[in-house]
Amino acid sequence: MYTELNSILNSGPDSFTQGEFILLSDRQSDASFLVHHFLSLYLRARCKVCFLGLVQSFSHYSAVSQRLGVSLTQAKEKGQLIFLEGLNESLTLLIPQKTDTGSEAMDFIRDPTVGLRRLFEFVRCSLQSSGGEEEDEWGPPVLLVDDVSVLLSLGVSAGAVLDFSHYCRATVCSQLQGNMVMLVRCNGEEEEDGGDEEGSELLLKGLTHQCSLTLNVRGLPTGYCRDIHGQVEVCWRRKEGDGQNTQKKLFQYKFSPLEVAAPLALLLSGVRGRRSEVPEEPDNQEERCTFTLASGPRRAAL
Amino acid sequence: MLPELLQGVDAGGLIVIQDCAGYSGRRLLQSFISAALNRDETVHVIGFEVSEEELIGGLKGSSTQRLHFHDAFTDPLGWTDHPAFTVRQFNLDEVTHLVKQTSLPKAPTLVIDSLSWILRHVSPAAVCKTLQQLRKGGAVRAVIGLLHTDMHQRGTVGSLCHLATSVITVAPGMKGDEAVAKITKRSKSGKVMLDEEIFHIREDLAVIVQSKASHTGHKQPDPSEKETDPTANLTFNLRLSDTEREAKKKLALPFVFSKEKKTALLHSVPGSGRILYEPDANDDFDQEDPDDDLDV
Repeated sequence: MYTELNSILNSGPDSFTQGEFILLSDRQSDASFLVHHFLSLYLRARCKVCFLGLVQSFSHYSAVSQRLGVSLTQAKEKGQLIFLEGLNESLTLLIPQKTDTGSEAMDFIRDPTVGLRRLFEFVRCSLQSSGGEEEDEWGPPVLLVDDVSVLLSLGVSAGAVLDFSHYCRATVCSQLQGNMVMLVRCNGEEEEDGGDEEGSELLLKGLTHQCSLTLNVRGLPTGYCRDIHGQVEVCWRRKEGDGQNTQKKLFQYKFSPLEVAAPLALLLSGVRGRRSEVPEEPDNQEERCTFTLASGPRRAAL
Repeated sequence: MLPELLQGVDAGGLIVIQDCAGYSGRRLLQSFISAALNRDETVHVIGFEVSEEELIGGLKGSSTQRLHFHDAFTDPLGWTDHPAFTVRQFNLDEVTHLVKQTSLPKAPTLVIDSLSWILRHVSPAAVCKTLQQLRKGGAVRAVIGLLHTDMHQRGTVGSLCHLATSVITVAPGMKGDEAVAKITKRSKSGKVMLDEEIFHIREDLAVIVQSKASHTGHKQPDPSEKETDPTANLTFNLRLSDTEREAKKKLALPFVFSKEKKTALLHSVPGSGRILYEPDANDDFDQEDPDDDLDV
């Protein structure tokens, strides 16, 4: 959990806006550190979390969270965390074992045309409180997906993923007043027109229309730099109360490993920009702060 | 032109508000709803993309008694047992039935949020047909729809816009919460009017047009512009007077050698060096005719 990021987003384990759909995206960069951030944030906030980990194994997420000071195994045992290990589930579907105990959430792998209804039902069953004591025990429900682009490569159409996210939003954000965090990755260039319309670009646009906050991670436009590892564009949409439609800010970040045992530090210098403009003058750098984190953003390739 | 559109749509009108991921047109749509409600009109909203609470929360300040929300948000595909309104029900009969549930003397305005959601599941031809039937059917007075242009192919967007009586394309403005609206309005006579306005939406959903960056489509070329002489206000002179012409003739140009100039320049000064040359027969040797010297 990056405390500085929390202060930028006006959130924290004690207080955060409910009913938000946060869209994380990256373009030729890696935004998985944000997934770990939100996972640890919501677990600390005592939310009931449903995590669809389609990219990495449970032990990976667990190891990263361990260094962030959150134990996934304990959370799972307590019933706070419901983890769908996409790698394992798809394997049991592709190579059926004798003791077939895999859930039906991932059965779209067999026939991608049926859509993601089963996956949504898995999410709904996981997060809908069954009443009684559990309701008091855990806070608002949270759905985390890492990452939805994997569904595309499993053969699901972008439209079906958008339907899935719509249903999740209607249930989690609107009905249960919880939060939803999804990661989309785009590998192509931004100005790609027409070529990739069916794929991740369409998915990103569709999800952008749905969400209330986007965090877009990308490399520096000026190229590699030793002191800054990339930039995050934060865009608030739909701030009805303020009468403001969209608000954009640009921040630059740096991971700096200190010692092996000590947490890694992430240095973040904020550059405030209006809309899509990127101010280049060094005078505009307003904030420079360090935020500590217990793991690097390491991630194996798919 | 934006305030005129907000003040009222002609019967049988179809307004399409186009937006993209960079700027949401939903607030403008809400302005339209609120303007219609303030005119004591009945508004039916088919909401695919926002929940009823969110829509009514955004419409604070307007009386929502005459607002009828048809919930297509919670279950648009019929994944649960009791869907209120599914995307398959978007056809003339079902929508007319929906609207007629509240019997009223005046035909209501139908708002669709958004057409993009329907277009993802229903073929564009069917959507266009339904919209056209709704316009002509008389059950609704006017239809206002939101369309996310970046979600569809250009042809789909084009065919919907051909159907519309007014198309408003919104885009982010240069600063603050300003936005730019490009408006295409087709009147019944067939005249097409284009306009571009910079606007912002106040908290009470009132649309304030800040300036007109207008270039109307049927603009006459400015008559005063045509008659102006480009040589009128020059800082230099294009024509010569007689005296000037005389002076010009008198002037000896450099590098043009008159006889006087030549003698003046080549006049030998006593004491200076001089080249003496006596022509020599040998110097006059012609290579092409080596036998020239032979007196044949």
